Amino acid sequence: MADLVLNGVRKDYGKVRAVEGVDLTFANGELTALLGPSGCGKTTLLRMIAGLEDPSGGQIRLGNEDLTQTPAHKRKFGMVFQNFALFPHLNVRENVCYSLTIDGVPKAQAYEKAAELLDLVQLGAFADRRIGALSGGQRQRVAIARALAQEPEIFLLDEPMSALDANLREAMQVELRLLQQRLGITTIVVTHDQREAMTMADKIVVMSNGRVEQFGPPQNIYHKPENAFVADFIGRANFFDAVIDGGKITSAGLTLETDPLNFKAGSPVRVAIRPEKTMLDGDLPTGNRVPAEVTFVRDVGPVRDLHLSTPLGPVIVEYAIGEGARTFVVGEKCEVHFPPNALYVYPGTEARKAA
Amino acid sequence: MSSIDASAAIADSDATKRRVNIAPRAAVLWALIIVFCVVPFALVLAISFGQKIEGAGWEWGFTFANYTRFFVGADYPETTTFLYLNRLYYSLQYAVIAAILAVITAFPFTYLMTRLSRAAQSRWLVFLLATMSLSEVFIVMGWDILLSNRSGLPMVLRETGMTQLLKDIGWFDQLREWGLANPRDVKFKTSSVATVLTMSYLVWPYAVILLYPALSRLDQSMVEAARTMGAGPWTVIRTVVLPSVRMPLIGTLFLLFVFLLGTYVAITVFADPSKQTLAISVYESVRGSTLNAPFGAAQAIILLITGGICLALGQMLVNRSGAQA
Repeated sequence: MADLVLNGVRKDYGKVRAVEGVDLTFANGELTALLGPSGCGKTTLLRMIAGLEDPSGGQIRLGNEDLTQTPAHKRKFGMVFQNFALFPHLNVRENVCYSLTIDGVPKAQAYEKAAELLDLVQLGAFADRRIGALSGGQRQRVAIARALAQEPEIFLLDEPMSALDANLREAMQVELRLLQQRLGITTIVVTHDQREAMTMADKIVVMSNGRVEQFGPPQNIYHKPENAFVADFIGRANFFDAVIDGGKITSAGLTLETDPLNFKAGSPVRVAIRPEKTMLDGDLPTGNRVPAEVTFVRDVGPVRDLHLSTPLGPVIVEYAIGEGARTFVVGEKCEVHFPPNALYVYPGTEARKAA
Repeated sequence: MSSIDASAAIADSDATKRRVNIAPRAAVLWALIIVFCVVPFALVLAISFGQKIEGAGWEWGFTFANYTRFFVGADYPETTTFLYLNRLYYSLQYAVIAAILAVITAFPFTYLMTRLSRAAQSRWLVFLLATMSLSEVFIVMGWDILLSNRSGLPMVLRETGMTQLLKDIGWFDQLREWGLANPRDVKFKTSSVATVLTMSYLVWPYAVILLYPALSRLDQSMVEAARTMGAGPWTVIRTVVLPSVRMPLIGTLFLLFVFLLGTYVAITVFADPSKQTLAISVYESVRGSTLNAPFGAAQAIILLITGGICLALGQMLVNRSGAQA
């Protein structure tokens, strides 16, 4: 099997551009998550891959085969819909066999395949049930089995967990990932839930406003966000504006060191730091210290969020609660340390607009 | 007395109160049903057992003569005629074919309509509702002109040379066999084709409006799911859309059928006198030249019962196939 390649794929609805020139390669056998806020174009992109929407421009290829003009029913990429879209007039087995039945596969053979797939999703005993008699989680399994029956080259899932309740969701994420690894099928999942994406995906595509903001393995997305949007959308981040000053950044009269930067002196930048990478209390390393005052303490169990007021603006610090951990009270003065390698520096708002 | 008993007692008294409140409303409902449905029906039923007085009106009575006349003719057992059974047959035939035709043609139209934008859909619906305000007389008049032998479609065919062409390639004889041509020209009056076409045209907007809710509620993601599993457009219609709207489709068919059993104007204009329906002969008996209200009433009762039986049979069929599925 081959990689799925998108080349400058674009979608316009009238004057509105839903998806802007997307170039992506979905490697064979990998699970990729399309992640982004609602309205970012991720579902539109998935639907274009499925053949349910025609791209306004660009090319979709599977290996060397150009699929751009191929209708959905000739691509036969298995797809799981957000509401599962099961056929209520057919029972579980008939739903799973649907692609085989319309293809003229003999009944006995199709039923055998259905039994095999239902076993795979642990619904072997439910073959004769009506769809109306299934729970949400069971419906999702039927939808997955049904989409896999035709042995698709690409397996697509559109927000497959959104109709499930929270407990079931986490379990199904793990289960789906294990199933995908066992079958080794190239899979693309649309989600707006970063935990879901991090749980399941080999690669994550972060999208916003129809653009791909970053594409890479989950750990890269989290630890090396390429721009302010990704830093903000994935995990939590504190932001402040600063100016480049000879390899360092200055803001509100403070000078902070960072990893080597590629900015011209004097250019405005936007700096991000994750709450769990800040350091508070104890023996802080020298430099990169910011004076602060505690404004609010939020105890969420395993960690404690301290809201600080600093010259750089409000900063949230995640402070692990352990043996002998210090208690902070509102109004207390302290210092917070920003490790140089934890500061993400992006072009400032002005510069970004100009670019 | 335990607390459960107490609450049960409270619930009981609540129920009594509610019953008291419902009673007047139920009484009004029953009164309406009795005044507008039961009494007229009972009246017609009673009249159907009455007797005609030659040269005058009719009188109450209790004779099965009208029913005997319907099934085997007035002079039975000397002679037997199935004239009225024949008319009942045509009533059913026209209504069934026209209803099926209307549903078959309205279905794709409605399906495509539900794929349009909201604004376009409402424009179509308003237009269709507007056409319903046209009376049967008006519509039949239009078709009468359209299909009339001297100025309608047959004239167009003749003047454009199509009629000659049909004669040359030999299809004209086939049309004559179907009763759609006289020795010289194509003709639609009188013909069963024109009758059924006009009847299905009459109920076509109803068909669309009855099918619209089901088709517009149809979950499009099911259609898309079928497409991603290799179903082409026709397979999608056959395996997803039609089964999903099976019940509304059958319901529409029945409703149009019952509605069409009573068609009057279209039949008088387009049907051959030998192929006219019971609705016509009911009217002729009651108001026409023969003035035989009891016999008209008997025919009406039989038409009503036949319609009822058809609906019941249809219902049974639906239930059985529903149980199998």
